[in-house]
Amino acid sequence: MWLSKFKELKLCLKAGRVTLPYPLAPGETMKGFRGRPVLNGDLCLGCGACAAVCPPRTIFVIDEQDTRTIQVDYSRCTYCARCEEVCPVGSITLNNEFELATTNKNDMKLSATLSMAKCKNCGTPFTTQRMLAKLTDDYYPEWMQVKVDPPEWFSICPDCRKKLEASRLKGGSKIV
Amino acid sequence: MSTGHELLNQIETKFPGAVKVDSVTERVAFLSVCDEQLVALADFLANQMNARFVMEIGTDKRPVNQKYELSYIFCLDQEGFEISLKVMVDENKLEVPSITPVIPGAGWAEREVYDMLGIVAVNHPDPRRLVLADDWPEDLFPMRKDFEHDNRPPAAEVKKIMKEPDGNATVVSVGPFFPTLEEPAYFRLFVEGEKVVGCDYRGFFSHRGIEKLADKVLDYNQVPFMAERICGICGFVHSCSYCQAVEMAAEIEVPARARYIRTIMLELERIHSHLLWIGLAGHIIGFDTVLMQSWRVREPVMWLCEQITGNRKTYGMNLVGGVRRDIPEDLHPKILETLDKIESESRTIIDAIIKDKPLLMRLQGVGTLSREDGRKLCVVGPTARASGLETDIRVKYPYAAYGELDMKAAFQTGGDVLARTLVRAEELFTAIDLVRQALQKMPEGPIMAEFSDIPPYREGISLIEAPRGESLHYVLTGPDNRPYRWSVRAPTYAQLQAIPDMLSRSTVADFPLIVASIDPCFSCTERVETVDRSSHTIKTYRREELLQQLQNKYRGGERS
Ligand code: SF4
Ligand code: SF4
Repeated sequence: MWLSKFKELKLCLKAGRVTLPYPLAPGETMKGFRGRPVLNGDLCLGCGACAAVCPPRTIFVIDEQDTRTIQVDYSRCTYCARCEEVCPVGSITLNNEFELATTNKNDMKLSATLSMAKCKNCGTPFTTQRMLAKLTDDYYPEWMQVKVDPPEWFSICPDCRKKLEASRLKGGSKIV
Repeated sequence: MSTGHELLNQIETKFPGAVKVDSVTERVAFLSVCDEQLVALADFLANQMNARFVMEIGTDKRPVNQKYELSYIFCLDQEGFEISLKVMVDENKLEVPSITPVIPGAGWAEREVYDMLGIVAVNHPDPRRLVLADDWPEDLFPMRKDFEHDNRPPAAEVKKIMKEPDGNATVVSVGPFFPTLEEPAYFRLFVEGEKVVGCDYRGFFSHRGIEKLADKVLDYNQVPFMAERICGICGFVHSCSYCQAVEMAAEIEVPARARYIRTIMLELERIHSHLLWIGLAGHIIGFDTVLMQSWRVREPVMWLCEQITGNRKTYGMNLVGGVRRDIPEDLHPKILETLDKIESESRTIIDAIIKDKPLLMRLQGVGTLSREDGRKLCVVGPTARASGLETDIRVKYPYAAYGELDMKAAFQTGGDVLARTLVRAEELFTAIDLVRQALQKMPEGPIMAEFSDIPPYREGISLIEAPRGESLHYVLTGPDNRPYRWSVRAPTYAQLQAIPDMLSRSTVADFPLIVASIDPCFSCTERVETVDRSSHTIKTYRREELLQQLQNKYRGGERS
């Protein structure tokens, strides 16, 4: 018995002190750590892909008259980084901060507000201007070098497109 | 001839025309049976074919075919074969004969089905409520499809359902916050002097209805993140098991590299889970050196997981079809180095435990569960293996990459707390070895399968050997990009039933250690979201079946 106790003592002494000095010294995180979400409003397209995949459903797409707001309430965030994974432009990312305690719940809200593009036909806002611009850019990439006007239906809302297409099939005017 | 066909032939000879075969593969048979034949067939499977009852899952299929469906899942462990017996219950009848009289381990499952769907198990020896709160209204059944996930009914009258002791035993209450595991669980021990003569159990205090959320709100790829939060220790088990169930239902072939990565993560999880348990067991018996040292050794595994997945717990790695992050080549040396260090340090600790006589005296002969009782009570995982039952899902029903790796299940015959400790110690080293093998054999290639839509109304069953035992996930796919039904049975659900048996020869002082020796995870059993307590607290396990067993045994019910 004494021998085993002696061995245990040796084990403890050999290990020494392992407690980290945190919080006196900063806590380190590994590369690739999934911490606080940040939203870059300059990049966000307002596509809503992040809101669709977020497991706790804590990203909201709020459509108002002429604007769309993407709001992330990360008080409920699970730090899964699915939003980062699906975002087409890298506007939502998770950084390595983990000390997120706050006394004000609103500190945990991020938002980006974007202007909406209106349907040329009926005037209803149907997507964000940035989204439309990106589609237009992607449709006529720079390497084509010739500036061509985007097809007219780009700026028509899906509802009107359906109606116009139906009337075209019936022999009405054609949309380009 | 395959096991499946042989078995079906036997059933057909014994019960001509009783069973309709819905589908059968190498590994699993889905059978339909009418309710009159159910008890006889269950009896035949469990008591003659040696099948182990795993779980009963109730589904409200009324929107599709005006019926409720009950699936009774059995496992033939020797052959590695799963059987699902399906019984249709008419929406106006709401009754099915109880199989608990022939399979005591089914008691909790049948009570849960009543709570959730309102289907009565006729002849159930103890038809008390199991899962729902004591003040839940009588006539509301939350897993019915017409019950909304955010419905909050007003509280009804509180019913007292706990049992009173027979004779003049004294009641000792432990809980509702379990003292050593710091989790909600309420045991009523009936004691005569120092001796425990019986007990009753009430759990499910943290039942929060995640299964409901999955069939009303979340989609296929959101569920893994919630599944992961069922357990604060072995979360990867649950997300992986859920994904495997969907993959089986949708016949998605997971790329080999993803299967290896899953295996590595599962084994890393087992390493840190077992080290955590060893520390905890030390703590409970007042030997805190073990706690300090094994948790110290465990820490590098957590860091390693953080490096691989982006977090020390809740890895968020699994999606249906594969995994999200690769384990790059340049991490391999670091992983191997950490494993070497853990291996040598754990050996020192385990040597110290095994040679410490006073410690051995505290563990030996405590909470003994015989092989036969273990089999009857359907225990799983290290608890079963410590009683000499060779059940290891990794060997018998290989999943992920286990079929391609070389492993032997650890097992002991003592059946006591010491045996359970030794099994876990050995498994720790097996796990280290498995990670090494997997790293070496891991093929190149994609980590996510390509697939189109998941077809509706297909069933998938996935078993995983979690650190605490076998974990079952059942998925019935649905039409709106989400499971129609997702059901989870965590390992503690099975283990807790064995507690009365282990307690029956013990004293009050041994009670915390015995309960801890099954490595219980109360909250998992309740399928709740537990707080991530990986760094500083205790594991939790599930407990559903305990009630049933306790009552059978100690409340004058039939003891099997
Ligand atoms: S990290 Fe996950 S939980 Fe958090 S906002 Fe992004 S998708 Fe939602
Ligand atoms: S953050 Fe990314 S995914 Fe979310 S709306 Fe903006 S562009 Fe789309």
